[in-house]
Amino acid sequence: MSELPGFYTAHMPPRRLPEGPLDFCTSLGQSFPGKPKIIRCRSLEKETFSCWWKPGSDGGLPTNYTLFYSKDSEEKIYECPDYRTSGPNSCYFNKNHTNPWTTYNITVTATNEIGSNSSDPQYVDVTSIVQPGSPVNLTLETKRSANIMFLLAKWSPPLLADASSNYLYHYELRLKPEEKEEWETISVGVQTQYKIDRLNAGMRYVVQVRCTLDPGEWSEWSSERHILIPSGRSPPEKPTITKCRSPEKETFTCWWKPGLDGGHPANYTLFYSKEGEDQVYECPDYRTAGPSSCYFDKKHTSFWTIYNITVRATNEMGSNSSDPHYVDVTYIVQPDPPVNVTLELKKPINKKPYLVLTWSPPPLADVRSGWLTLEYELRLKPEEGEEWETIFVGQQTQYKMFSLNPGKKYIVQIHCKPDHHGSWSEWSSEKYVQIPNDASLNNSICFLDFRVKDMIVWIILGVLSSLICLIMSWTMVLKGYRMITFILPPVPGPKIKGIDTHLLETGKSEELLSALGCHGFPPTSDCEELLIEYLEVEDSEDQQLMPSRDNGHPSKNAKITPKETDSDSGRGSCDSPSLLSEKCRETCAFPSVLQTQDVRDVQEKKAGKRSWETQCVASERKAHLFNSESAKSSTWPAVQLPNNQPPMFAYHSIVDAHKVTLSTTNMNVAAVLVEDEEKGQSQYSIAETVPGDMEKQREMENLCSKTEQTIVQVKQNRSKEKSPFLDATLMDYVEVHKVRQDEEPAVLLKHKENSVKTEKYTISGASKEYTKVSTVTDHNILVLMPDSRVLHTSVSQEPAKETSQNLQQGQVEKNMSYCLTAPSDCRRETSGSEYMDPSSFMPSFK
Amino acid sequence: MERTELRVRSSDTPLPAGPGAALALLWLLGRAAAPPAVCTPRDAGCRLLSVPELFDRAIRHSGRIHSLSTELEKYFTPRDNELSSHARKCHTATMLTPNDKEFAQKMPREELTYLILKLLQAWKEPLSHFNQHIENLQELPGESLGKAKQISNMVHELETGVEKVTEKMQSMGIISNSLHGMASSEAASLSISNEANMMSDSDFIHCFRRDSNKVQSYLKILKCRIMPENSC
Repeated sequence: MSELPGFYTAHMPPRRLPEGPLDFCTSLGQSFPGKPKIIRCRSLEKETFSCWWKPGSDGGLPTNYTLFYSKDSEEKIYECPDYRTSGPNSCYFNKNHTNPWTTYNITVTATNEIGSNSSDPQYVDVTSIVQPGSPVNLTLETKRSANIMFLLAKWSPPLLADASSNYLYHYELRLKPEEKEEWETISVGVQTQYKIDRLNAGMRYVVQVRCTLDPGEWSEWSSERHILIPSGRSPPEKPTITKCRSPEKETFTCWWKPGLDGGHPANYTLFYSKEGEDQVYECPDYRTAGPSSCYFDKKHTSFWTIYNITVRATNEMGSNSSDPHYVDVTYIVQPDPPVNVTLELKKPINKKPYLVLTWSPPPLADVRSGWLTLEYELRLKPEEGEEWETIFVGQQTQYKMFSLNPGKKYIVQIHCKPDHHGSWSEWSSEKYVQIPNDASLNNSICFLDFRVKDMIVWIILGVLSSLICLIMSWTMVLKGYRMITFILPPVPGPKIKGIDTHLLETGKSEELLSALGCHGFPPTSDCEELLIEYLEVEDSEDQQLMPSRDNGHPSKNAKITPKETDSDSGRGSCDSPSLLSEKCRETCAFPSVLQTQDVRDVQEKKAGKRSWETQCVASERKAHLFNSESAKSSTWPAVQLPNNQPPMFAYHSIVDAHKVTLSTTNMNVAAVLVEDEEKGQSQYSIAETVPGDMEKQREMENLCSKTEQTIVQVKQNRSKEKSPFLDATLMDYVEVHKVRQDEEPAVLLKHKENSVKTEKYTISGASKEYTKVSTVTDHNILVLMPDSRVLHTSVSQEPAKETSQNLQQGQVEKNMSYCLTAPSDCRRETSGSEYMDPSSFMPSFK
Repeated sequence: MERTELRVRSSDTPLPAGPGAALALLWLLGRAAAPPAVCTPRDAGCRLLSVPELFDRAIRHSGRIHSLSTELEKYFTPRDNELSSHARKCHTATMLTPNDKEFAQKMPREELTYLILKLLQAWKEPLSHFNQHIENLQELPGESLGKAKQISNMVHELETGVEKVTEKMQSMGIISNSLHGMASSEAASLSISNEANMMSDSDFIHCFRRDSNKVQSYLKILKCRIMPENSC
């Protein structure tokens, strides 16, 4: 007995939980358990007792029930000693826990996770709750002694949990005729059998017994027993033919149900006669088909004949015949159920799985002879389902089922029936088949696959389209200018220099320019003035000059770009007025000039525009180059071919070149193209060669001017801006581009320096020196050689980026050399005017 | 095929005439010996039915007849004690028909074939009489008349079909040509049919139902004996 420290008084009120948690819990659908109720306590024999309780409402959680009890003699609280013996929700108190002189206070507590609830206390006096169980094994028997019929009833005392103990019970017996309502109760005493006479013969009686211990209640009545009191003169009840059946259309069996035999064993005889015959035969075989049956073997079985069958029950008292039963064997054929039912789940590739049912006809049925033809019907349902789905199959012995729900377990049964007559067999034993989920999984996978594929397709499409869009927009940004010129060809306006409205219109072009990298040239008044002047000059010029301009422009642009790069480096671009230095000024003027050029070019002529475009592009290109190159010196080798280096820019330049060439002269476009692709330099050469002398000269001039400009810039940069390495490098790059473009001169350089381009670069360190040299000397390659101090200076200034500078210088050098290669006239011009004055550039541009 | 059908029809009319039937059979045999030149087996529209196919048709046909007769029997419920008290006397009861499987299987094919034909012939005339008779019964629903008529027609068709199978089997040597030797007993069918007219309606339909079942069973047995490989 476990002592519960919390409970010291037997009358402690049942524990209850506050309402709060209940509300809380009910909101969750769970609560502490309902109040259990003690239904009854009962002692079967006064030495033990049991109590049963009814569980209260379920709190939605598993609930434990605990029975506590205390005795009136002490204050301790004990728990139930045995929950099992008396069944569920009960407590059994064995002899050790049962005291007939004690009153027990019993409480049942239901407990679950949330809380507990206790029953009202029940006070138990064992003596007053004694009620034995019912007597068992009641049997009735009619006996005859001295020609008097009596009924002998026998029974056993009630069963006890403790089988060893014997108690003295008092019994009562009651009986009545079946059809009556009133019972006749007889006090039996302590015996376990009783003789009843004065019974009506031929009547059926019902008998029950009950018992009691000396003090206490009567037990329940035992289960009923029926008996027919035989009259003594009457024959047995007439039997009933219940069924005749032929399992295979060759033999048949009839069964009957015996009537009450009246206490006397009866013999049963089956007689039959056939249609058209008067003779009556007795059953040929009573045994084969079991008790109360008659088996007609093949010899005794005829078809298309009606059998008239009767069963006669006979005992000492007489006999009684059943009603006649007419049988046409053809129509009593009921086969055995089909056998070898197999369920096979087939999973064809790319198809839904299906179920193949196969079975065999019952072994008795001789279907091969044609004598018996069977038709089949199957039924199935999900295991938990209620309704069967029945499918008539016909004579085939297999069936394929396609529409089954995956993941379900099906029960399948088959039965059979002869065609046209007879009756259905029993259903075959239940066969279970689990339709696997993976079938559905497969399906879903397929579906998923499909969807995934779809998704992938869409994603790819989306990515592609976005890529295309990106490329388009990119190219638009890069080539937009040209594109727009294509789509919206510039309206050639009157070349009146003073019209500002056009400028406004050209806002678009400005945007484009900005996108292209030509942005941010807020035209200053100075620039405008310059531009105007410039425009005037341009008007006068011919388209033929354009290519030369193009070539020339880049160089100028290069100057500009370096300043942009300067801005990148932190110095600020020429745009930012604060950073504008004197020389910057000049350069600034230049960009502004460019812009104005754009604006007015549009107004003026395509050709002019194109030239401008090319300039712009060139500038862009260079700027980009600068950026890239500044970032990576390694890109240098590629830099050799300026057009090729950054592909986009290259295209631009090439196209520009084409345009230029086209517009300007009769030059071979193809040739130019090829050459462009191959080497930038060729452009120049062609331009030079094809056009007239004038053109050549001008080109040369331009080139010269470029070189000059570059040189100037470089010098400027170096001299003025020591800190900005980047600028210097950028500058160098720009120059290099030029150099590349002018590769013919480079070749010349090669002669002096190196045969291989790469070597040039490597040697470019020395080229710095050349730059200076170039300034010094005009013509020959040899001129490059002598310069050494500049290199030193540059190195000192920009130790980190020596190489780049060197390269730049080398390029510059090349430019120079190119210039050198150019005719002497050009030389002079360059040397004379362009070095110092930005204004001088302008004419050279033209 | 059509020609055979025509022949069968022509043979139907002089049914009672034994010599006529014998002649028809002879003609049939002669014709079978020289297969019809009209249809070749390769003709799509003129496919010669195989013996099993013909049997299957005949079996299905007899099954249908049996079902119809079962339905028809419901309209002719016997009087209360009729079933028990008096044994039906079917007019075909005098024919010796196998009444179990072994008997049917032991019976020579020719005899079984002949028995089938004989049973069918025995019912043709009584069925026509029966149809005329029940037309006057006003308590019968119309559909029963329809069924009776249908049964009558189907029995004719079935007989034609069985004759056709017989002919084919004879031509193929499956059964001997001794069938015509039994035709002489066909004269008895007349008296049998007269006897049939004496039966009560319920007896009549009951007997017919039973015989239709016999015919079907015999056809099945015959088929499975001749062609055990064909779904037997």
